[in-house]
Amino acid sequence: MRGGALLAALAAVAALAAAPPLLGEYRTTLLLPVFGYGVALLGLNLLFGYGGLVSFGHAMFVAAGAYAAAVVTGVWRIESFEAVLLAAAAAGLALALPVGALCARYTKIFFGMLTLAFGMLFHSFLFKFYGLTGGDQGMRVRRPTLLGLEFEELDKTAFLVGPYYWYCLAVAALLALLMWRIVRSPFGLALRAQRDNPRKAEYLGVEVRRTRFVAFLVSAAFGAVGGAMLAVPTGLADPELAYWTHSGTLVFMTLLGGFAHFAGPLLGALAYVLLQDWLMSLTPYWRLLLGAVLALIVLACPQGLMGLPALLRARLAARRRRAAAPHPAPAE
Amino acid sequence: MRTTRRELLAGAAAAAAPLGAALPLPAYAQARPLRVGILAPRAGVAGTVGEVGLKGVEFAVEKLNAAGGVAGRRVELVIEEETNPRETVERARRLALQERVDVIQGVVSSGVSLALGPALEESRILTVFWDGTTQDGVNETMPRPRWVFRSTDNECEAVMGSLMAIKHFRGQFLTVAGINPDYSYGRNNWAAFLALLRRFNIEHRVVTEQWPRVGGMDLTANVAALKAANPDLVFSSLLFADLPVFMRQAHAAGLLEGRKWVFPAAGFQHTALKKEFTPPGMVFGHNTLYFADPQATPLAREFVQWYHERTRDWPHWEADRAFFAMEVWRRGVEKAVQAKGGGAWPSNAEIAEAIRGIEVVSLGGPGRMRPDGVAEQTFIQGLTVHDPRYDFPILGPDRITRMDGRQLQKGPGQDFWRWIAEARFDL
Repeated sequence: MRGGALLAALAAVAALAAAPPLLGEYRTTLLLPVFGYGVALLGLNLLFGYGGLVSFGHAMFVAAGAYAAAVVTGVWRIESFEAVLLAAAAAGLALALPVGALCARYTKIFFGMLTLAFGMLFHSFLFKFYGLTGGDQGMRVRRPTLLGLEFEELDKTAFLVGPYYWYCLAVAALLALLMWRIVRSPFGLALRAQRDNPRKAEYLGVEVRRTRFVAFLVSAAFGAVGGAMLAVPTGLADPELAYWTHSGTLVFMTLLGGFAHFAGPLLGALAYVLLQDWLMSLTPYWRLLLGAVLALIVLACPQGLMGLPALLRARLAARRRRAAAPHPAPAE
Repeated sequence: MRTTRRELLAGAAAAAAPLGAALPLPAYAQARPLRVGILAPRAGVAGTVGEVGLKGVEFAVEKLNAAGGVAGRRVELVIEEETNPRETVERARRLALQERVDVIQGVVSSGVSLALGPALEESRILTVFWDGTTQDGVNETMPRPRWVFRSTDNECEAVMGSLMAIKHFRGQFLTVAGINPDYSYGRNNWAAFLALLRRFNIEHRVVTEQWPRVGGMDLTANVAALKAANPDLVFSSLLFADLPVFMRQAHAAGLLEGRKWVFPAAGFQHTALKKEFTPPGMVFGHNTLYFADPQATPLAREFVQWYHERTRDWPHWEADRAFFAMEVWRRGVEKAVQAKGGGAWPSNAEIAEAIRGIEVVSLGGPGRMRPDGVAEQTFIQGLTVHDPRYDFPILGPDRITRMDGRQLQKGPGQDFWRWIAEARFDL
């Protein structure tokens, strides 16, 4: 990691760690879904930004993680959050093995449609198999212990804005570091190569399908861990988590932050959660405004919020160049 | 004749007097207003339901404030939207932690209430639900709630509709069919209907079960399947915007003629079910509020008129659920204030304790909050007639049945299915 980026990352983590007393309880609880979505979007962007594969069914892995949390805490009565995270990653991988083996054969719209289809299949499974999944009513996710500590003296709000907040921040920071290493590794290079020119990448010895498949597995595991982190504050795993509109929301967040930048998904998660909170408090027509924001981003700033400074710099430079250029002499 | 604002306020104050003047209460007029957080759907399949509930809240608060507030404190509303479980839990936290509301009321969806109930209970936030109490999982998620008060069970209307079908149609059907929304509520209602047929030894044969998606607007395949099965009686707990669509398609296919129909939850759509495609003689459930109830209280009549003047429509039961939630909370606050004897304002724990066992008269009739924190209300169903005053069917005035929640709902700690098998029902 370059010195500047490392410093910026450390400063962001330090600021977030120190934030709860300054933000107050409610705004601190708002950051919890940012950590969960941030982790899930880092995984999604491994496929989208680095692999060139847009998944419209990624919410199935978020849901798999949430249901894993429900099974571990509610059915098996294992309260350890570390066990929940491991089980979520395992559930995500188990689901991604068959799905990824099929989807990794395709790219572009075919990949998108296949992931959408598998996502809806998983949603139907969650919705219909009442005996296993609770159907539309979902499964309860009980409050876990953190590093073996129960925090019994804290009510749920105090638990969430205290120990759970810092725990999730640490998990998100560690997984972001892990993802940074992955995208900077030879594997990450191979993934980008197959995105830019798959045939040439194959000539150079990249096993394109296997690379996509491994990226799919890593992406699914991140999605499921993010789902487990999201499920604890809600206290419920429900089938809507796997619905296609939730997959669309994940893609929206990634676009909002900027899929071409490593930190784009993290910024996208933060911006989306804050924007939605603000708009929902402002007007019942918040969905309309969110749609308008998405349209604005695609039209005016396709690189997302992370690309905004570069876009503004380029526009300013272009304006300066135009101003400095000698005016053409009027035609005689 | 035009009514001036002054006359309207004076009339409202006079009508609201019983709400506030029943008990001598210490004045807290100088204190800050009481803030009531409301969670209601405002879009999607339950959007109109939420809007009717909000009207019930608006009416209740208008009356309370005209009568001097709750124990001398004015009431303010803070409204947030009920969406999916995760977002709604966040909105509830916003109400409690950011807006600092004194109580949260609302919620229509059982999926949301199942997430919200434990989250608010664990966070010790006083809450009274309007609706959303489908059986599955409710007992397991909150066995002994202290802070969260549940609405009456969602299956009450199916129990009553089944009893009504047995009462009015016994001996007139052999083959039965169901078309119910594909989620826990629809499945429980259908199962409750079949269980009650067995309980009353009604000979029957199920010829088809249809499970359309909630809010799905193409029901032609379901209509065709029902027509092919040719049942004598159809039981349906469709209740959202898909119900009028189903009726139109069923009418067009000639499915409606010559059969018995049981719609325990159709009251949500009563004004959308136009006479041209909704026959008379159906068992029709209005849940806890029937807008044209001949035995309605003056307050209920005033509300119906108030609602009609503002919306050019007639209200359904979600308005009553909202009014009931506000009323049990108000009575709980006043009881707790009185118990303190004019000293400090009671804590939310004391108010929660005071709410247990409260009896109120809501818009649809008498009701209570049981000591275990579950509401019991009056339910109204009947057989439909076509009345020239309305373009939709209403209940025949001589065919209306009223049942107290105690007759329709399992007791504290009981299992719903065992209760159906063992309870005594009075037809």
